[in-house]
Amino acid sequence: MSSVHIASPLRDYTRGAATVAAEGSTVAELLADLERRYPGMRFRMIDEQQRIRPHIRIFVATREIRDLQQPVAPQEPVHLLCALSGG
Amino acid sequence: MTTLGPAERRRYSRHLALPEIGIEGQSRLKGARVLVVGAGGLGCPAALYLAAAGVGTLGLLDCDSVDESNLQRQILFGSQDVGAPKVDRARERLRQLNPEIRLVAHAVELCAANVGEIFSSYELIVDGSDRVATRYLVNDACVIYRKSLVSAAIYRFEGQAMSYAPDRGPCYRCLFPQPSEGVVPNCEQAGVLGVLPGVLGAIQATETIKLLLGIGDPLLGRLLTYDALSLSFHEFRIARRADCAVCGEHPSITRPQDPLGFCTVEEQRRVRRISAPELAEQLDRAVLTLIDVREPAEFAYGHLPGAINLPLAQIEQQGLTLPHEATTIFMCRSGVRSLKACALARRAGVREPLQLEGGLLAWKAMVEPSFHV
Repeated sequence: MSSVHIASPLRDYTRGAATVAAEGSTVAELLADLERRYPGMRFRMIDEQQRIRPHIRIFVATREIRDLQQPVAPQEPVHLLCALSGG
Repeated sequence: MTTLGPAERRRYSRHLALPEIGIEGQSRLKGARVLVVGAGGLGCPAALYLAAAGVGTLGLLDCDSVDESNLQRQILFGSQDVGAPKVDRARERLRQLNPEIRLVAHAVELCAANVGEIFSSYELIVDGSDRVATRYLVNDACVIYRKSLVSAAIYRFEGQAMSYAPDRGPCYRCLFPQPSEGVVPNCEQAGVLGVLPGVLGAIQATETIKLLLGIGDPLLGRLLTYDALSLSFHEFRIARRADCAVCGEHPSITRPQDPLGFCTVEEQRRVRRISAPELAEQLDRAVLTLIDVREPAEFAYGHLPGAINLPLAQIEQQGLTLPHEATTIFMCRSGVRSLKACALARRAGVREPLQLEGGLLAWKAMVEPSFHV
């Protein structure tokens, strides 16, 4: 089980929670688990071509993820970042 | 090198006492030329600290006037400034703080046509803008004209900051390759903790001074995030992208450009809005054309009865043809994309289009709690 840190603009899906738990041995599996728990959330991050949306960045521990098949080790923290626009 | 007079030596004595700054560093700051884009939540504290620190030429760019709702966080302004042009009042306030420096006000909206001329007078840009389009324009111009950039953004209780210097690391597009206008609500719609931009603006001023003086370890290739609720900072290493559209090996952006369907602030300001409860009333009584500008998958998840799906990207690329008889109401998830669509519709000649204020999130909150959005 990984601890997933949720960017503020995505917290509407997690009922305001900043950190949630999700399971998966790859980033793709982890996102699928998040979608089961928080319907609609995956689409905010991944487009129809299964690419990470250009305003979203995913980090596993300190590694930036560009391929959803990359592994996630148990207990590794995952950060879902979103571009912010406010000034 | 620029020299310091007796009054300046007294004013900056605490800087002069720092071995990392000293007379040489303070003189360098005096000779520096910095532009702050956006005199908002971020720009106000950043400009105050940069003026106080003795940055010799400080430019401020903003085309807005002071609004009462700004005063909760935009600390250059007071109640007496409401209605006045921001850059004028900012310049007065900063002059009171430090009459030794040169202050330049740019009361214009930054766009591809003026960015080159404006940036040519500065060596470092501080980005505190509140528009996605401006954020990318500033980044691209900094890469193209080889200016350093200290960027930050805020939302509710969260902030981000990163710096760019030519040939020293990734740019903002390496982090977030394309603008996603409208996907992220701005502070007007989502709210923002007043003190949040104070923290991020102070970080921007710190980064600016470090980059100008060449001291410390600036946020080059690092994204710093701040969560005020948990009071936690995180840092993420960002790699330069070889395929970056502006700083990559084969850049496709070689001169600053306005994004597709660019709307000026004034155009967006002229858009008329309708609240969710008002729309609920109108739905039963009037002939309305409802245009939902979200992506098809979002539309499929839930939409208002009778709404037509016309994604914003499609409107931007193909324009808009609508019957002019019915009142047209544009909607999206939070109200950002529909604001732009509405402004484009006005430009295309649609008579008095309306925008659903706060988007379908507001509809769910105020009218129909079971609505899927």
